[in-house]
Amino acid sequence: METELFLGFNLYAWITIVTVLGMFTTLLCTKLRTDLVFLAAIGVLFVTGVLDAKDAFSGFSSTSVIVIGVLFVVVAGLTHTGVLQWIVRHLLGQPNSYSKAVIRLMLPVAGLSSFLSNTTVVAMFVGIVKMWSKKLGISPSKLLIPLSYASGMGGVCTLIGTPPNLIISGLYADKTGETMNVLATAIPGLFCLFVGVLSIIAMRKLLPDRKAPESAFEATSEYTVELLVPSDNKYIGKTLDEAGLLHVRGGSLIEIYHFDDVPASISENEYLMGGDRLVYAGQIDEILELKKSHGLVSADHHIFSMSEVDKNRQLRTAFVTFGSSLIGKTIGGSTFEHDNNLTLVAVARSSQRINETPRQVVLQAGDTLLLECPPHLNVNTDRLSSQLHFFDSDQVVNIGSKTFISALIMIAMVVISALNVMPLLQCAFIAAAAMLVLRCCNAEQAMRAINWDILMIFAASVVLGLAIQQTGIAERLARGILDVCGTNPIVVMTAICFVGTFITEFISNTAAGAMFFPIMYEAAEKLGYEPYPFLIALMISVSSSFATPIGSPTHMLVYGPGGYRFSDFMRIGLLMNLIILAANILIVNIIYPLTPL
Amino acid sequence: MQVTIQEQDGNMIATLEGRLDTAAAPETEKAMSPLLDCEGKDIIIDCTKMEYISSSGLRIFLSIMKNTNGSHVYIRNITDDVRAVFVMTGFIHLFEFK
Repeated sequence: METELFLGFNLYAWITIVTVLGMFTTLLCTKLRTDLVFLAAIGVLFVTGVLDAKDAFSGFSSTSVIVIGVLFVVVAGLTHTGVLQWIVRHLLGQPNSYSKAVIRLMLPVAGLSSFLSNTTVVAMFVGIVKMWSKKLGISPSKLLIPLSYASGMGGVCTLIGTPPNLIISGLYADKTGETMNVLATAIPGLFCLFVGVLSIIAMRKLLPDRKAPESAFEATSEYTVELLVPSDNKYIGKTLDEAGLLHVRGGSLIEIYHFDDVPASISENEYLMGGDRLVYAGQIDEILELKKSHGLVSADHHIFSMSEVDKNRQLRTAFVTFGSSLIGKTIGGSTFEHDNNLTLVAVARSSQRINETPRQVVLQAGDTLLLECPPHLNVNTDRLSSQLHFFDSDQVVNIGSKTFISALIMIAMVVISALNVMPLLQCAFIAAAAMLVLRCCNAEQAMRAINWDILMIFAASVVLGLAIQQTGIAERLARGILDVCGTNPIVVMTAICFVGTFITEFISNTAAGAMFFPIMYEAAEKLGYEPYPFLIALMISVSSSFATPIGSPTHMLVYGPGGYRFSDFMRIGLLMNLIILAANILIVNIIYPLTPL
Repeated sequence: MQVTIQEQDGNMIATLEGRLDTAAAPETEKAMSPLLDCEGKDIIIDCTKMEYISSSGLRIFLSIMKNTNGSHVYIRNITDDVRAVFVMTGFIHLFEFK
């Protein structure tokens, strides 16, 4: 089987190449689960004999994969004790210029991402940044891309900040027997972050100035609102036209139902009666003005007098979550309002006008509901959170001694492992156990925090990297790169990082890390240099995917809320990729000078 | 739904019998249309035997009240069920009851 078949690759190498290409084509063209596709690829490599059983499943016992799994628990402790919330609340402040806002945002986000999962941090910040941008009068689209970029750049600052770092350092430890320090990437990472922040400020004109989708939503005829005429309304007996309820500012009357549920014609001569339900479509704020100007109310039952209505009821917006039990049902046909003491005021569906009364709308995932709640409603999140996600949900965790304890555990874990007192894996296990024992999170929260899908992908990525190495693909590619780039180590380092940066736009950073590790390692060795600095540069480059929204899960998190288009990421991201690549190569060569073997 | 209109003591009396629901509304409206021509006379709608009134029925009552030529419209003897509808719709404050 060692015989070369074509282009210097043997049969096993070709099977690996076809499998990897097939895997990425499947991922790009189908909606199959990523973990399944990765596992199927491993299955192919195992069945065809490219990898033996030991190697094929080695990813599942890989130290780096286990560290990632254990860190999920540590992060659960931090999240459930409110460390993130505390930081968010105290760090953003009220900057008076865009540049200061970017700095106030990017530095804490990067700091948090260097220890926590980037996705967790960005998910936590998205809502807050949107509110913050409103307060500052800056369009959220000007701040959400920097938010996502900051988490990526912060993630590379420590080995635990982002999975590719753990995978590459794990593979390095397997290969050389030497463990990388948890802060090995700190200085290069911080330098790139510094350059990144300055670049964002300098290139801010390339960031789109879009209205948040919700405000656009509010400005179009998207919300369908139902308002009730109480029995003591002063317009009763007048025609819709006389009452000024037919043509209203910012909306139109689309349906009217009298007390006996008979739909009435929408004409200027239709009389208004108590118990009428008027259904409007349009700008929510303008329509809700009718409550004040015309004494209309939101209610799910008949209102005889305005005095029955608690004027302090507050409006809250929520969207129907995926998997919500409300999907496929109508609010009118369920006891939802009664059970939760909420009143449905309006329903909106993205880019679609709903022509039914809100209570009769068969709900879909993603529908936005405007609900009226009692003034001090403590939304029972345990019961409601599986059905609705409140935009302004105050899921504020009580900040107290546990917050301090969990933060201390995290810091201790990083410091002990950075000082090489104990390997990271052991530190992570102790930290996770401490989080559980000291009740920073409970066992259920801990188990729920472990993202098994992601672990599967990580494990499979490690195995794919191994196959690429064992079949000689890495060596051939490394040799090919050396043929093209000559023997200058910096040119070779730059070339591989360049390819890595762009490949990682389309595949997961972890997979890119696992696949480029053997190539970079072989190339460095072939040139006769210690691979360490090459790998540090690789870590930064595979996490620098700025140019497409699919480059990182954090980009996808801000994509919708920022109202972005695919090209928005390209415009600033391509330049960012190149700038960070240059900064990366420069700083790595200063901090870790190349040493001949 | 049965509508009988008669003149009594200088007043126009409309006696309604049965259910004034949506289906019966167009016919009832037609049957009551002579009331609009009774210049100056008081109109009394007798609801003693009216079992139910729908929104369409209320619309007829209101339309008569608004379109008569200087007549007063009174409603007489409504049942509790019908009164509940008048209360709910706020029409209880629009009409005069005898």
